Amino acid sequence: MNTAQEARQWFTRTVQEGSDQLPGQTLEWLRNIRGSAGQAVETLPVPFRMQEQWRYTSIAPLVSRHFTPSTHDFTGLQEIDLEDLQLPEMDAYRLVFANGRFIPQLSGLSALPEGVRMGSLRTALSTDPERLSAWFGQTVGQEQDIFTALNTALINDGMLVYLEKGIRLDKPVHIIHVSLELNEPVIVNARNLIVMDEGSGASVIETFVSTGDSVYFNNQVTEILLHAESKLEHVRLQKESRQASHLSNVFISQQQNSQYHGTALAMGAAWGRTNYNVRFRQEGGVCNLHGLYTAGDQQLIDFHVDVQHAVPNCSSRENFKGLLYGKGRAVFDGRIVVEKQAQKTDAHLSNSNLMLTRNAEVDTKPQLEIHADDVKCSHGTTVGQLDAEHIFYLRSRGIDYASAQKMLCLGFAEEILDGIQQESFRAYASRGLQELLSTAVHDTGSSGE
Amino acid sequence: MLQIKNLHVTVDGKPILKGLDLNIGTGEIHAIMGPNGSGKSTLAHVLSGRDGYEVTEGEILFEGEELQGMEPEERAHKGLFLAMQYPVELPGVNNMVFLKESFNAIRRARGETELDSVQFMKLIREKARMVKLDEKLLKRNVNAGFSGGEKKRNEIMQMALLEPKLAILDETDSGLDIDALRIVAEGVNALRSKDRSIIMVTHYQRLLDYIQPDFVHVLVGGRIVKSGDKSLALELEEKGYGWIEDEVAA
Repeated sequence: MNTAQEARQWFTRTVQEGSDQLPGQTLEWLRNIRGSAGQAVETLPVPFRMQEQWRYTSIAPLVSRHFTPSTHDFTGLQEIDLEDLQLPEMDAYRLVFANGRFIPQLSGLSALPEGVRMGSLRTALSTDPERLSAWFGQTVGQEQDIFTALNTALINDGMLVYLEKGIRLDKPVHIIHVSLELNEPVIVNARNLIVMDEGSGASVIETFVSTGDSVYFNNQVTEILLHAESKLEHVRLQKESRQASHLSNVFISQQQNSQYHGTALAMGAAWGRTNYNVRFRQEGGVCNLHGLYTAGDQQLIDFHVDVQHAVPNCSSRENFKGLLYGKGRAVFDGRIVVEKQAQKTDAHLSNSNLMLTRNAEVDTKPQLEIHADDVKCSHGTTVGQLDAEHIFYLRSRGIDYASAQKMLCLGFAEEILDGIQQESFRAYASRGLQELLSTAVHDTGSSGE
Repeated sequence: MLQIKNLHVTVDGKPILKGLDLNIGTGEIHAIMGPNGSGKSTLAHVLSGRDGYEVTEGEILFEGEELQGMEPEERAHKGLFLAMQYPVELPGVNNMVFLKESFNAIRRARGETELDSVQFMKLIREKARMVKLDEKLLKRNVNAGFSGGEKKRNEIMQMALLEPKLAILDETDSGLDIDALRIVAEGVNALRSKDRSIIMVTHYQRLLDYIQPDFVHVLVGGRIVKSGDKSLALELEEKGYGWIEDEVAA
């Protein structure tokens, strides 16, 4: 086990190693942001198990290994490299990032409508730095954690999606984050920004995949600014290598009557954690955030969802479901805070877990902190097994035990997948889950207990 | 078709069936009647291979083959079907997907070709019409929000779809009003054939007004204590089970 000091050294060294050749060093504001983040890495608490936020999730697998900050640019990457990944067929604007770097030749951004910018953050740093400076760090604010600070200190590239006032995108945006197998384990600090101006609307789908059994650490930070009356569907599917570590910090800031419809699907990685931070800045905001996670042998999947109602008349729904098998481990920590002035808040949080084996483990902690008196709030959590009566019913109709389990697991997950509006992506995610379940129920054995 | 010899079954160590004998010939319809707690449902569940029922003695031969030790799905593949007393709701499992999977799983096990979606859709619509099941219910999750009658019709529709050699109807009449009962009975009658045997497990004679059995057996205390033709059912209706229980005791 690492000491806190060793862990601190890991952060310090990673910042040092990654600080060379960063883009935009001539921009004073960016130098300042990176500089203070670098300092924050020295002073912010290092996560350890005594902290409530990290009670069930050890960062030892991350900090006990040397990850080289990724500086490759993969200019030679051709289409053929992606074919094996079996990505979904979708009529979409496509952005491909390899180990955090934008790959223009694999991306499909032709015929972008007026008033839409999407592509590489790195490019935008040279073409549009003024605008970026206004957006940057706005949602992250003072609530930095050390991994976000690390990411900020090493801002290099990432996705930028910006819609001007009133623009409604005709097609979804599909962002493919692929991690390529490299000779040494790398850390990718991708920085992503989605800015939706007043009344704009878009559907953004992010897929995180890897080639082979690559070992790497994906440290993603995504900032989402939803201006008044804007509407964003945001799907994130993580199916990375079973050797990979994935950490995502997603910060969402919602202005008046804005709507965020998120679906988080975690089906891969050895160590995976996503922190969602939702902040309602003005009244009338709606946030629906649904998630599905699976964890089997040698996997730890963690979701932390933190929703803060600081203003009245906003509504939030969080529904997360987990499928655990083998010796899989999952953590769900959901917290809704309703401030004193946030009257008429409508907030509901639920987490249910289906355990396919006795050795699987979930630590779930839904929390509701209410300081207002005129609100509608609820939270609940369940941990259970497949119902023997349900399995028997299917088997009595000629469906074998493994298939019966699979059908019921899919049935359990259905509600979450149903929330994905893009049909082709929903089907893709469902196929992915079915493939995964074929292994999962196999792990469980072929006969009942 | 089915021969049960000296069957003893315990549930949680408690003896329920205590030496049951029953012979079902091909194409015959048998009614098993009896008071509550006599072991009727246990018989239905043991035949279908449900967990929790331990056969301590005796044999169950289906077309000459011992059923004990056979998984529920294997029994279904061989042509056994149980229409449940309480069909369960399956959250998130689409009825159509379930029906097609069931149908094709049995075809696969028998080495027959599977039907594709278009072919299957045509077939299932025909079966749904037969039991007057609203086609909308095919698109819903299995039994989710179905009325009692709709659940039972969904069961009989599955029987029509899977065309079993032996169907066991466990208290199919329970919870049905007279109209629903008539529709279900019409469905079953349409499935009567010289190749198909049916066992109806029921507490009341009412169902037998609509589906006429060839034989009626009375199950009391875990054994068949009296057998006869359908007039026995009428006698039970009139006199209740008390006189038989007295006879057995005596």
